[in-house]
Amino acid sequence: MAIKVENLTKQFILNKRDGWRSIKTEVLAVDSINFSVNSGQSLALIGPNGAGKSTTIKMLTGILHPSAGQAKVLGLTPWRERTRLAYQIGAVFGQRSQLWYHLPPEDTFELLSRIYNLDRNQYKEQRNLLIERFDLGPFLKTPVRKLSLGQRMRAEIAASLLHKPRLLFLDEPTIGVDIVARQELRDLIREWNKQDGVTVLITSHDAGDIEHVADRVIVINHGHIVLDDNLSNMRQRYLSSKILSARFHGEHKTVDLHGAKVLQSANYSIEVEIDTSVVTTEKVIKHILELGTIADISIEDPPLEEIIAHIYSQPVTNNDSSTHT
Amino acid sequence: MFFAKILNYIRLAIAYVRLNWLSHIEYRNAFYIEAAGMFLNNVIWLVFWVYFFKAFPTVPTWTSSDVITLWAISAAGWGIAFVIFGNCRFLANIISTGQLDAWMLYPRHLLSHLILGKMKPSAFGDMVFGFAMYLFFVRPDFPHLALFCILTVSVAILFTGFSIVAGSLSFFLGNAESLALHLEFAMICFCTYPAPIFEGRIRWLLYTVLPALFVSYYPIEALRNLSIEQALYAFAGSLAFASIAVYVFYFGLKRYESGNLTVMRG
Repeated sequence: MAIKVENLTKQFILNKRDGWRSIKTEVLAVDSINFSVNSGQSLALIGPNGAGKSTTIKMLTGILHPSAGQAKVLGLTPWRERTRLAYQIGAVFGQRSQLWYHLPPEDTFELLSRIYNLDRNQYKEQRNLLIERFDLGPFLKTPVRKLSLGQRMRAEIAASLLHKPRLLFLDEPTIGVDIVARQELRDLIREWNKQDGVTVLITSHDAGDIEHVADRVIVINHGHIVLDDNLSNMRQRYLSSKILSARFHGEHKTVDLHGAKVLQSANYSIEVEIDTSVVTTEKVIKHILELGTIADISIEDPPLEEIIAHIYSQPVTNNDSSTHT
Repeated sequence: MFFAKILNYIRLAIAYVRLNWLSHIEYRNAFYIEAAGMFLNNVIWLVFWVYFFKAFPTVPTWTSSDVITLWAISAAGWGIAFVIFGNCRFLANIISTGQLDAWMLYPRHLLSHLILGKMKPSAFGDMVFGFAMYLFFVRPDFPHLALFCILTVSVAILFTGFSIVAGSLSFFLGNAESLALHLEFAMICFCTYPAPIFEGRIRWLLYTVLPALFVSYYPIEALRNLSIEQALYAFAGSLAFASIAVYVFYFGLKRYESGNLTVMRG
C-alpha cells in the first residue's frame, strides 16, 4: 500500500478584519477524508480551486500537520517522519521549480545528488538513464532560463526521479505547456508509472492529463471526497448524453425526435446531443438514417471537461464515497 | 557518526557555494561590481573612522590598529556568513510568502539546509575586504592571523544566528521583512563601534538583544592579548545565540502557513 488516509482533517484559522477588530474564523480545508492507493497505481486528485487537494498533498508530503486523522505514506507518517519520507518521494510542482534558473539542468542534478546523498555510481547511472529516456541531451548544458517550458518541465520531472522515488507527486505538471510538449510529458509520466512501477499522484485542471495519466480519479470539493472511481466508471456514472455527428451525401431533413437536441446543422452535416435517459442511441441512429443518405456517422462521449464540471457542480454531502483501492 | 554528518554537511555546503558562485558569475560584471562596490564602501567607512580616532581620541585605550581589526573581523565574519548562509537574509520573505514548502520536500534538516540556498554577492566584497585590511594594515604575526581566522568563524556564526532570529520574526508578525533588515543594519552598526564607549544598560542590550559585543569586544580583546580565554567567550556567546536562533525558528515553524507562490531557484 503506497498511501492510506483515514479521517484526515485540516482546519485553518483565518483572521478577518472588521474595522479595528480582528475576527477569527475557522475554515475546514479538508474534512475527514478517507482513501488508499496501491503501489504502482496512478491516481488523479482533482477538484476546483480551493477544494482542498493542495492541502491534502501538503499533508501527505509532511509539509502541513493535520488537525485530526491519520495518514501513512509508504509506511511512514509524513509530518512526523518527513525527512525519511523525502528520500522515497519525488515532487513536481508546475508552478515551482527546483531547477536553478541561471544554470544548466546538469548543475541542479549534481546538487540534488548531494542533497539526497546518492552513491556516485548509482547517481551517474540513473542520471544517464533519465537523460536518455527524457531526451535531455540536447539541452543538458543550456541554462534553464533559455529552455522552453516543455523542455524545462521534462528536466524538472527527471530531476524529481534522480533519487529513484517510489511515489511521485505531480501538482499541475503541464500548466502553461503547449499541446505537443504536454502530450510528451504525459507519455513520460505514464511510461515511468507502468515500466518502473512508480506510484503517481497527479493533480491537474487539464482533463487530458487525467485521461492519459490516471487509472483512477478522486474528486475533492469543499474538503470532501465527492467521487472515487476509475475513469471509465466515472464516465458511465455521470454520462447521460452522447454526441452524434453525421455527414450526408446531399441535403438532409430536419431532426424531429424527443431527446435528440440539434447542436449544429449545415446543408450536408448535423450534430446532435442525445439524452440517453429519454431516448436510446439506437433509436436516434435509426431516425438519422431516415433523414438522408449517410456518408459518415460517429458517436462520442462529451469531453471529460464537461463531466468534471458536472461533478464539481453537484451539491456537497457529508458522506465520502466508499474507499476504493 | 557525528563527524560523518558534519563532513556530509560540509560537502553539501560546498556544492551550494559552487552552484551559487556559478549562478552569480553568469552575470559576472554585475557580480564583480557589487562585490567591489561593497569593498569600496567598507574602505571609505574605515578611512573615516581611522581619521576620526586620530582627531578625537575618545577611547584612550584604542589605537587605529584596533579600529582596523574591528572592521576587518566584522566584515570578514559577515562575508563568510552570507557567502555560505546567504539565504538567512531572505528568511523573512521566504516565511511570509510560504516558500518554506519547497524546502520541506528535501531529506535534510530544514533550517541548516535552507540557509545554504543563496549567496549575497556583496558578501564576497566584505569577506575579501576583512582579510585584506587585516593582512595589509595590521600586519599580524602567524598566531594573530590564525586567531583572527578562527574568530571570523565565531563572528560568522553570530551573524548567521542573528539573521535567523530576525527573519523568524515573520512567523510571529506575518511579514517582518523590513523589520529584519533594520535589525540587521542595527546589529552591524553596533558591531563597528568600539565596545568601551558603551556602558550600563546599553552594554546589557549589546550582550542580549543586539549581541554586538561578541564581535566588538571579546574577539578584539582576544586578538589584542592573544587570549584563548577571551576567544572562548566569543565562541560561547556566538554558539549560545545560534542555539537560540534554532529554537526560535523551530518554535515559529509551528505557526507556519504554507503558500502557493510561483518561484524559480537560483
